[in-house]
Amino acid sequence: MRIRLTLPNRLSLFPIVTSTCFLSAILIGLFSTWTQAFGYMPSIGSNHFSLEPWTRLFTHPGFVNSLKATLVSGIGATLLSLSITFLLFAVSYQTRFWRILDQTLAPLLAIPHAAFAIGFMFLVSPSGWIMRLFSPGVTGFDIPPDWNITGDAWGISLMLVLVLKEVPFLVLMSLGGLGRLDVRGSLAVGRSLGYHRVLVWVKIILPQLYPRIRLSLFAILAYSLSVVDIAQIIGPTVPPTLAVQVFRWFNDPDLVSRLLGASGATLILLLVVIAIAILYLLELIVQCFLKRQVTSGNRHFCVLFPNLLSKLFIIAMVGISLTAITVLLIWSFTWRWRFPDLFPGSWSLRFWSKGLMQVQDPIWNTVKTGITASLLGVFLVIGCLENELRLKRAGIHTNTPTMLWLTYLPLLIPQIAFLFGVQVTLAAFRLDGHWPSLVWSHLLFVIPYVFLSLGPIYRSYDQRMTDVALTLCGSPWRVFYRIKLLILLKPILFAFAIGFSVSVAQYLPTLFMGAGRFDTITTEAVNLASGSDRRIVAVYALCQLLTPLLIFLSALLIPRFVFRNRREMQG
Amino acid sequence: MLKLQAVQIIQNGEPLFHPLSIDIKAGEIASIMGTSGCGKSTLLSAISGNLADVFSLEGDIQLNDQSVLPLPMEKRRIGILFQDDLLFPHMSIAENLAFALPQALPKSERQEKIVEALKQAGLPGFEKRDPGTLSGGQRARVSLLRSLLAEPRALLLDEPFSKLDQELKDQIRTFVFDTVRRMNIPALLVSHDIRDCPEGQVINLANQEGQDVR
Amino acid sequence: MKRFFAIMIIIGALIGSAAVQADEWSDIKQTARGQTVYFNAWGGSDSINDYIRWSGNEVRKRYGVTVKHVKVTDIGDVVSRILAEKSAGRNSGGSVDLMWINGENFRAMKQNKLLFGPFTQKLPSYRFVDTVNKPTVLFDFTTPVEHMEAPWGMAQLVFMIDTARTTKHPTDMNDLLAFARKYPGRITYPAPPSFYGTTFVKQALLELAADRQALYRPVSQSDFDVVTAPLWKFLDALHPLMWRKGKNFTNGAPQMKQLLNDGEIFISLSFNPNDASHAIANGELPESVRTYVHRTGTIGNTHFVAIPFNSTGKEGAMVFANFLMSPEAQLKKAVPSTWGDPTVLAVDKLNAQDRAAFDKLPLGVATLSASELGRVITEPDASWVAALEKAWLNRYQR
Repeated sequence: MRIRLTLPNRLSLFPIVTSTCFLSAILIGLFSTWTQAFGYMPSIGSNHFSLEPWTRLFTHPGFVNSLKATLVSGIGATLLSLSITFLLFAVSYQTRFWRILDQTLAPLLAIPHAAFAIGFMFLVSPSGWIMRLFSPGVTGFDIPPDWNITGDAWGISLMLVLVLKEVPFLVLMSLGGLGRLDVRGSLAVGRSLGYHRVLVWVKIILPQLYPRIRLSLFAILAYSLSVVDIAQIIGPTVPPTLAVQVFRWFNDPDLVSRLLGASGATLILLLVVIAIAILYLLELIVQCFLKRQVTSGNRHFCVLFPNLLSKLFIIAMVGISLTAITVLLIWSFTWRWRFPDLFPGSWSLRFWSKGLMQVQDPIWNTVKTGITASLLGVFLVIGCLENELRLKRAGIHTNTPTMLWLTYLPLLIPQIAFLFGVQVTLAAFRLDGHWPSLVWSHLLFVIPYVFLSLGPIYRSYDQRMTDVALTLCGSPWRVFYRIKLLILLKPILFAFAIGFSVSVAQYLPTLFMGAGRFDTITTEAVNLASGSDRRIVAVYALCQLLTPLLIFLSALLIPRFVFRNRREMQG
Repeated sequence: MLKLQAVQIIQNGEPLFHPLSIDIKAGEIASIMGTSGCGKSTLLSAISGNLADVFSLEGDIQLNDQSVLPLPMEKRRIGILFQDDLLFPHMSIAENLAFALPQALPKSERQEKIVEALKQAGLPGFEKRDPGTLSGGQRARVSLLRSLLAEPRALLLDEPFSKLDQELKDQIRTFVFDTVRRMNIPALLVSHDIRDCPEGQVINLANQEGQDVR
Repeated sequence: MKRFFAIMIIIGALIGSAAVQADEWSDIKQTARGQTVYFNAWGGSDSINDYIRWSGNEVRKRYGVTVKHVKVTDIGDVVSRILAEKSAGRNSGGSVDLMWINGENFRAMKQNKLLFGPFTQKLPSYRFVDTVNKPTVLFDFTTPVEHMEAPWGMAQLVFMIDTARTTKHPTDMNDLLAFARKYPGRITYPAPPSFYGTTFVKQALLELAADRQALYRPVSQSDFDVVTAPLWKFLDALHPLMWRKGKNFTNGAPQMKQLLNDGEIFISLSFNPNDASHAIANGELPESVRTYVHRTGTIGNTHFVAIPFNSTGKEGAMVFANFLMSPEAQLKKAVPSTWGDPTVLAVDKLNAQDRAAFDKLPLGVATLSASELGRVITEPDASWVAALEKAWLNRYQR
């Protein structure tokens, strides 16, 4: 046994490196932001603590409405996403209809939020494609109506975009969570006892599923309350959501606004914490209520309505995503397109030929950063998982809930609440604007997602495969890469693709850590989306969408090709 | 010769079973019986060198008069056969077998050995086949072949027949026992079913004091 | 004898300084070679981005200077970054080498000593700049430029109307209100503090204020409420008649251009008199769009490029700024299909060939002639910007 000690020791470095990578950034960032929120920022000559940033924040024009839009869009999106996900599982899981969702899940996830928001706007705005479809024929409009569809003051349109993007994520996470539940068995038992399948879901399976996706839900909550890029595209304008307002303060030429921004960012963090606490409370209440319901023996249930609703939502989600992409495609080939024409009056390839020239640099930056961050991410995550395995074999109890919280930490703390603080600190040491800093900031968000997508499958690997292989062949290394890594090739590549698409989508980290020097396809698309030529915006949005999609596609096709003659490696 | 000398496995200070001693000669297949949970699979992992760290081992395990305890699993050269065949799903039959062959063998010889082994096992021409397309009996045979191609100095059988149906079981049993005897290595089988055990020493872990029950 | 010596010394000094100047420029070019210039400039317009890309390629070919366009949504965040760098004691090795700037941001940088310079007098192209007829190249929103920033282009607030929807355009702000009554929901302006929005508000104030002169003094010297009262009265009346009932605003002129094309709004605005022609040539706007200005004239100014005090590649930045001011680059910039941004140069100072080229510049279908553009109103004192933005937010961001 003594001989093996060298390898495990090296393995134990992985969690240390990985968590240092997280915690350092978060702690530095939060500390710096908090001190600034209380007026302490010696670099701008403000070197005593005060509550002034807070009073200024609360009395800022439009603060109340800003808060309102933030809460409605953020909390609304979270609760709606959860309800819809549960509805989908309860009604449609493993039905024929489910296949539509199953097959579109990966591409839906790969669509970057910003590209989706741009396409969605082209679709639903008063001069959008849907209106054009019915105009002037049905509606009689030959000029678009003055309806406040996008950018409404309550943040409803923002909320809808968030829901459409978050449901696929939550479905994916739930699928992972269901892996360890015996759904088929529960359904069989429940139905044999006379419960409708939806009721079995509601009373038996969902209560077991919820704890497994709770953290994902909190991550959605934190994201939705603090999102900047989509809110800039489709959120309210006067006032904007809190996160956008904070982002503006951080960028204000008047440096005192930074203190205001820091207090705003801290408020967003507080909102997230409070909202999480409320969700916990709600969970307890629902649990209490359900407990009585479960044992009441009530089998009464009306199935028609949710069935329809669930199907409608799947159709809407897939349909809206597809048409949003289609309308992006059309705009990218447009020369002139006026309302209410359903299709452009004249077409052109000019914007593609021009766009493809221009996107080369940003795409190169995106791909370079994405691949490096996801490779590093996959490497670190596999190291951590191997270390976990080692500890388990050594009989050392790993505190799984703590580990899980740690993994989720970067997703639970709103980016805006600590990234600016990190930037200020990095700038003091002249570390901002360097590529490694950029990769590091992306890694922060890549690692959790890689962990979440790879962890469950990696842990369920049949260790006896390795044991047998070890008795057959003397080299643990060879066994590791020829047997374990290859058997797990598919989930590893999938996790890599998830990591890549997470990296592609990063907007704030790229801006803050890159000091604006690294254009990625996302920063470019978001910059242009705030008003520029729709045709070129469409080209950028499509490129932003295609980049992760191609990686996803390769992640799916490579193992399928490599193992095309291996039945047990399919599916 | 595989020799267990007063072997005991301890968990949380409690031994799982009484000290166990047994000598297994080359070509002999000894059996260990016991109900599930009595520690017989743990015993096998101790012999193969894969004992989880929650357990500790007392006594000695010797192979050809040398203790194997200081060796890691991959250096012990003790083959193991589980109730699942554990064929690597991403490799062809030939690749599965080639993985077990010593690296020193030249390529042509490797090829030859695989063809020969498959022929002997009644699976001629299966080299390019996907394990996913084989029947349970065929897979079990490939799995045994794979263990043996690594030229193990001993073979452990962990309830290897329990997942097979009766007809197949007899067929595979005969195949396994014949092959082991032909290879002339010591083998140890654990099972909860006395009908699986071949002729030879049988020890019941539950009520043993180290003696033969038959 | 004394006088002779004095004259000799002066002559000597003059010759010497000329020689030094020529020498200095070739030294600058020498040092610039191999430098990378991070040019921080608004990146929201595709045509402008194209033009910057072209200019960058040219200076790489000619001077070996690499230009990287750092695209920003608001130059204000760059000002704040440089200020933060200064506060952190980073006096060299800064992240910005050259920036596109004017007005309020220039004033802030000059006040906080964040600028490198004076430098424009060293640039050979500067001698062509029209300092006589274009006073805004010397006074940026009333702040003296003093060679701390290099003029790049001229801007004047113009309006664009889609004549396919309606032919009669408003002639002043009160007329615009009447127009809004006739076509409710069809006009809007970007929300301040977007500089387009702030400019619209300033234009309205300049037209409506009882005492326009007050606006050219620092805001602290006037009674803000009295001066701006007519403005708020006007906006209070206008907002309910605006696009989305004044509850939702665009973020800038480019977005308004899209809305104009969609027919959501009938009137858009721009800072570039050639914008409409450019957009028509580009397929972005229909051919029915025309440019107009208000009867009393509209706000005009100059936009510049400036070098931060801690720039890493000051010489490269100067070489690039010089190229941007050169007749060749200015000519290309003025072509409506490229960008259509008016030149800062005095065409009569140029050589015959360049002059002819400028004279031959096509006037786009929707571009007004110099006389139609009418009188340029100079920008109010820069201190009004912040005050107006704050007051606007207090009233309308509720």
